[in-house]
Amino acid sequence: MRKILIANRGEIAVRVIRACRDLGLGSVAVFSECDRTARHVRMADEAVAIGGNAPSDSYLRIDRLIDAARSTGADAVHPGYGFLSENEDFATACRDAKLTFIGPAPEAVARVGSKTTARKIAASAGVPVVPGTEEPFGPDAADADIARAAERIGYPVLVKAVAGGGGKGMRVVTGATSLDSAVRLARSEAGSAFGDSSVYLECCVQRPRHVEIQILADHHGTVVPFVERECSIQRRHQKVFEESPSPAADPGLRARLADAAVAVAKAAGYTNAGTVEFLLDADGHFYFLEVNARLQVEHPVTEMVAGVDLVQWQIRIASGERLTLTPRETLTPTGHAIECRVYAEDPDAGFLPSPGRIVALRAPEGPGIRNDGWVEQGSEIPIFYDSLLSKVIAWGQDRPQATARLRRALDEYDIRGVRSTLPFSRWLLARPEFVEARFHTNILDELLQQRAGEPFDDLDPSIEEVAAMAACLAEASAAAAWPVSNELKGASSSLERSWTALARKEGLRR
Amino acid sequence: MRFEVETARQRRTIDVRRSGAGGWTVTVDGRPVSVDFSRAGDRWSMLLGGASYEVAIEPRRQGRRIVHVNGHVVPVTLRVPGRGRSGSHSDGPSATGPVSIVAPMPGRVVKVLVAPGDAVLAHQGLVVVEAMKMENELRAPRAGTVADVRVREGTPVDANAVLVVIT
Repeated sequence: MRKILIANRGEIAVRVIRACRDLGLGSVAVFSECDRTARHVRMADEAVAIGGNAPSDSYLRIDRLIDAARSTGADAVHPGYGFLSENEDFATACRDAKLTFIGPAPEAVARVGSKTTARKIAASAGVPVVPGTEEPFGPDAADADIARAAERIGYPVLVKAVAGGGGKGMRVVTGATSLDSAVRLARSEAGSAFGDSSVYLECCVQRPRHVEIQILADHHGTVVPFVERECSIQRRHQKVFEESPSPAADPGLRARLADAAVAVAKAAGYTNAGTVEFLLDADGHFYFLEVNARLQVEHPVTEMVAGVDLVQWQIRIASGERLTLTPRETLTPTGHAIECRVYAEDPDAGFLPSPGRIVALRAPEGPGIRNDGWVEQGSEIPIFYDSLLSKVIAWGQDRPQATARLRRALDEYDIRGVRSTLPFSRWLLARPEFVEARFHTNILDELLQQRAGEPFDDLDPSIEEVAAMAACLAEASAAAAWPVSNELKGASSSLERSWTALARKEGLRR
Repeated sequence: MRFEVETARQRRTIDVRRSGAGGWTVTVDGRPVSVDFSRAGDRWSMLLGGASYEVAIEPRRQGRRIVHVNGHVVPVTLRVPGRGRSGSHSDGPSATGPVSIVAPMPGRVVKVLVAPGDAVLAHQGLVVVEAMKMENELRAPRAGTVADVRVREGTPVDANAVLVVIT
């Protein structure tokens, strides 16, 4: 293997390019129109335009990705996460084009990618699953059939896309009246995100924790499980904070989870990196949830406590190498790691996306801090894709030290130009529920409901006064530095107006 | 220079006067203090009574400045007395009369769930807009009749574009 095409964008493309550099391999980036000057494009050795801004016109175009790999002479493809990372057709197209797909074989992608099939595999491997419908409801399934199945399982019930992932195409339904609209939204979201609008139903386990086991599996029959990650802090089923090890796990539970994950991986014929997700109830019983057939957003927390580079291992496994790690090493954590995702969203406006231009940026640094991001001063955050700006990962000897370092890092993090979720993350880190690790997957939604929209940045009045003074001082400094006559001001603003008018006209002509 | 300054909780009258290199006398509602306010790249370093603050100020948007103080985000509205207001123009939707449902952000209309003439209930879904890969159902703020649907499925919309009007 000499050159890898990265079929993705954003922070994960940057992450994979870094692994290529570390291994002395060439890298090829791909980009949509609005990503022409994005970080991953400038960082890679080569870059290829693959189409328009809509994902369906670029990052989801299998034909153009394969052409890009051919024209640049790449011999392998890394799919990242999201987009085509769990797409059977893409894995098959790579194989047909004699490109090494850095991930599981298409057959394994298909087996675990269908959530209903994955559930059957887990059950056959002796791993407990959450009760739900065995067969999927296809696009033409009657609403009445879905309603009957929901009654049988009992409300609240989860509507999930068979091809879903990352919280997309998933809805909680508390009663029969909202079932139809939930199914409609889940289908439509899944249809546009994954090209498959089939759904199934699952029972809602009450107040579970979300724990998951990262695995690596080589082509020689070895499957290595890692220390569990806990990802119970979710907002509308999207993970927000992830950590490893789980504060709820002891070595006994860890061993049982690891055994279950390895059993599922072996039964599915799985290779490369993957994650087996479980729900853990208050009594310590766990249930298989799903397999993520890709590298995950939260992989760095495992890297920090295991001291391994998972992306490097993905590449080495794909080129046929044998795993040299042993479960004895990988199931013993070194310290504790916590990841915080930072999104371009306004937490004080219901987490509405906040696209735009980053006018200034200072990412955190210092002991125990890792920042995996892609934005810089001047970056445009497009509206077409996920709004993840970066992931801040803090490592410490234990959970309190990791938490303190993460808090310090988030305080240092300075992003201007777009609203970010930082004020929210700082608020959450200070909550007793977080400090004491009293988690379940609904905890965040419950806490947010209790808040009733107060601003997350609970300002000290003295900070407000400092801000008021600073605004005046900056204004007065500017007035002193650039004395502009009123006449000139008028001229420049009328010039600006004519530019705006011209821009509008140009816009109309097109 | 004299300013009327509004923050979320308070309105203040602030007078600033130079008193040497980097030095200013700032009078807040009659209380004078000495401040060192010096440029540091695209940020400012502010020393106030021995306390050190890092300040950054975003370009003005709709009359409001976003001031960052030690990582806190503070919206501030400035007005120079006698020069007219540069404040924000917040015009909330009327409680009676027609209500416009606008796109909260740029995106693409995925589904239009109502047609002109439809009677709708409060919180009923009207339009599904996809932005940043999440679908958001925009709902009726109150019961009424759909007077106008101004978008079609599959078309992109700008922030604040009117999607549906309810009377």
